[in-house]
Amino acid sequence: MAGHSGDVFIVCSAGARTGVTTTARLLTDYRLFSRAPVAGFDTDPHEPRYGALFPDLVKTVDVADIKGQIALFDRLLAQDGVTKIVDVWHRGFQRFFATVQDIGFIEEARRNGIEPILLFHADVTEAALASAQRLHATWPALPMIVVQNEGARPLGPDAADILRRYPAQHKFFVAALPGPLANALDDPSLSLSRFLLAPPTNMSIVVRAALKSWIVPIFTQFKSFELRRELESSDYLR
Amino acid sequence: MKPSVILIGADKGGVGKTTIARALLDYLASNNVITRAFDTENPRGTLHRFHPEETEIVDLTSTSDQMKIIDTLETAQIKVSVIDVRAGGLTLALQALHDMGFLEAVKEGEFNFLIFHVLGSSIASLEEIEEIAPYVEDAQYFLVKNHVNDTTFFEWDPVTHRKYFEKVQTAGELTIPKLNEIAYEQVEIAGTPFSTFVADKTAEGDPAGHSFVLRGYVRTWQHKISEEFDRVGLLGLVAPLAPRAPAAAPGKPGRTARER
Repeated sequence: MAGHSGDVFIVCSAGARTGVTTTARLLTDYRLFSRAPVAGFDTDPHEPRYGALFPDLVKTVDVADIKGQIALFDRLLAQDGVTKIVDVWHRGFQRFFATVQDIGFIEEARRNGIEPILLFHADVTEAALASAQRLHATWPALPMIVVQNEGARPLGPDAADILRRYPAQHKFFVAALPGPLANALDDPSLSLSRFLLAPPTNMSIVVRAALKSWIVPIFTQFKSFELRRELESSDYLR
Repeated sequence: MKPSVILIGADKGGVGKTTIARALLDYLASNNVITRAFDTENPRGTLHRFHPEETEIVDLTSTSDQMKIIDTLETAQIKVSVIDVRAGGLTLALQALHDMGFLEAVKEGEFNFLIFHVLGSSIASLEEIEEIAPYVEDAQYFLVKNHVNDTTFFEWDPVTHRKYFEKVQTAGELTIPKLNEIAYEQVEIAGTPFSTFVADKTAEGDPAGHSFVLRGYVRTWQHKISEEFDRVGLLGLVAPLAPRAPAAAPGKPGRTARER
């Protein structure tokens, strides 16, 4: 899912605790694991969890403020080959997309050869579905991936039916981690990309194995999406 | 094509007349309507600062300047003239146009005459309507509510509304939306037309490096204004034979009422 260099991933949800920051973190770590350039933006100015995970890579911005808007959107439009990831704070969700619409960001990005991609986190509420539908109605051509994070917001036995109602082209699945292992993720010093390359020797073998078996399918989905995008843009397969 | 004169004014200062004149010049240009403009803020000329190529600074009380505007309406290649009336000068300007026989010529159908009366937020603006009513009988008279600087308008209760509006027949109301303050300020600093700012150019045509966010706000604001001008059929009033602009990119001004 790292997409092409220069893509902009907008990771968002209409409600709280749906795993947005986890997805932004995983995607950032995937890019680092792939040794590809990445920059992140945390739009929660009060408690920037994503920013705390990657202090050198992630900039915290306040999109309620025009200086924050300039710091974010002008950078997103830079044609520098760097994949950008935006963690949209759920409380700033409406404001963020209102600004996107006001300044014509999606249209300008496309004119600059940059493809914004939405990673919309599903939950069981009708409000979340309605938000996704509104975004789709506003930007019908904007690629949307619906994210099911079973660790954050389990969708239950009706998951397939719920996801089917989302106007998304792709699905992305994050499995639940058992409680004690999930705690390991809370440690901001734990780098998932470094973990895969060289697991810390002081970590329990059980934790290592479980974490690895959690991360690998996620990174495989990223890789799969990345390859799919490359094939779709290939001159030879049109 | 019959010559058209668009007068933009108010009897109150600081209501954003020149901002509306600038937006109007951009709108007309984006629809391929070649326009000349006269700035009566003599000698400073704010409109002239932003649109120097098409704007001349004039003194409406001077006979030679009156001749420069009115006597050339028939002969000038450019058939649309915008007059940005200096603060507090609307009634005086209309009186001058009346005295020189222009309003009579409008009545006889020689010219199109449009008035954009920019309203302030106070009741004084409504009193202005009463004052200029005698001059606007044969004009397309538009009331313009300018929110560009986030003006909060008084609520027009039906009684107040009737009291003033029964004295004058308007062609409609135009609402100019708010523009983000910093975006507005940056265009002021740039000293270029709004469209040049959106295109990220300097007055000389070089890349300007303006923030995309600020340009985006201005572009969206222009688009909303274009919708307002389209809504009242402005192009049909001033330039019925003007060629249509190419299809506008999303968020850009340029669609005409006739395209809808």
